[in-house]
Amino acid sequence: MVVGTAGGWYEEALPAVAIGEYAGLESVGSMRVEAACASGSAAVRAAYDSVRSGGADVALAVGVEKMTEVDTLTSIELIGRAGSYVWEFENYGMTFPAYYAMYAVSHMNRFGTTEEDMARVAVKAHHYGALNPLAQFQKEVTIEKALQSQVVAWPLKLYDACPLSDGSAAVVLASEETARKLTDTPIWIKGVGSSSDSANLSRRGDYVGLRASVEAARKAYAMAGVTPDMFDVATCHDCFTIAELMAYEDLGFCKKGDGAKMIRDGETEIGGRIPVNLDGGLKAKGHPIGATGASMTVEITKQLRNEAGRRQAPIEHGLGLVHNVGGTGHYAYVTVLSRD
Amino acid sequence: MSADPALASRRSLTLKFNIPISKTSEFWSALKQGRFVTTRCTSCGTVSFPPQSDCPKCMKGEATWTELGRDATVVTFTQVRMPPASFAECDPYVIAICELEGGLKLLAWLEGVDPEGVRLGMKVRLEGRTSPEGNPYYVFVPT
Repeated sequence: MVVGTAGGWYEEALPAVAIGEYAGLESVGSMRVEAACASGSAAVRAAYDSVRSGGADVALAVGVEKMTEVDTLTSIELIGRAGSYVWEFENYGMTFPAYYAMYAVSHMNRFGTTEEDMARVAVKAHHYGALNPLAQFQKEVTIEKALQSQVVAWPLKLYDACPLSDGSAAVVLASEETARKLTDTPIWIKGVGSSSDSANLSRRGDYVGLRASVEAARKAYAMAGVTPDMFDVATCHDCFTIAELMAYEDLGFCKKGDGAKMIRDGETEIGGRIPVNLDGGLKAKGHPIGATGASMTVEITKQLRNEAGRRQAPIEHGLGLVHNVGGTGHYAYVTVLSRD
Repeated sequence: MSADPALASRRSLTLKFNIPISKTSEFWSALKQGRFVTTRCTSCGTVSFPPQSDCPKCMKGEATWTELGRDATVVTFTQVRMPPASFAECDPYVIAICELEGGLKLLAWLEGVDPEGVRLGMKVRLEGRTSPEGNPYYVFVPT
């Protein structure tokens, strides 16, 4: 069992042990992995590697976070420290919205992306969140409401940001032979890719995309033998609205700079070229950070099985994508899932 | 979520770190004198910021200290309006990533500006500051 969690804001110091006891899995062998907001995907990856290597026949990947046990300002403090502490937090009080705001400013300046474009991402997220009975926010919002919300780190506003959340998700991985015994509708991992980047934001080459996402996608696509136009559905890491627009570009759904055009043209809604975040995304489903990668994997599994109800994407090629970012592109994981 | 019953723990935990800086002490002592230095690899010439005693490019060579220029241009910025707990007393502050002549980038507060007047590419200058506790740090100011 692999438990993905960032931790530090809830009471348990050894969450994998607590989960093992609760689930009657004390003796299976467990560990905790951390890749910030991509900890859930890191858990899936570690479980995948242990099955693929023959080290385990069945592995459980759990993602979990409890972020609301501490007050909001303490949460902001702990997430703001998720960079290079001495050089970017100690004297300057970086916050997570501030990191992504710097990307937003650069993207707006370079490509003409607007605050309205970013608000459109929030509107889409809330629209699908309203169709997801497990979403933290199950209500629609308007562009006007999003644009009028409080500025947290200019130009990002409250409605550009995912909430603080409690939540968990789990994925059972098994070898091909065992999977066919366990279920009639297995979903296969066809490709995995991960990459990472500098701790200091100041060491990045530019601020219009996440190099780690580009590289993780390249590895996952090559392993699966797929191209980005083949996916029926995707979950993209929308911790902030600008992050979803950059993800469209970094994952190859459109060329660099055209992310805003995709959301304006409805290309990432059901009926569009590639529906994205039909579970409501981090914005509306919620972002219990260690849980998110596992939860994204659960969502794409449901979509590929046609079990997503009112938010079901049409499944044609049987291929789905999970894109999960940790920190500000400090970590990135991309997973290609297939029905066949 | 907050409406659910919760056990308000009787215990609290305060963490205050004493962070070792012996490998970058030249940077901090120069900064106290108003100078800016960083490390340069004697083998491949790579200049790193933040300074570090081992070269991440060639992975060999010794680090020597080299002077940094102070003139820079704004690459990107934001203004924090919802600060973390330990900055709760601060007025909204502007943070910028600026590029020094030569290509190194630093992240720091950009002081003395109207946030609506900040433009990418605008010229700024590094200046030393001292915290109320006596620790040196640096900021950008417009030129």
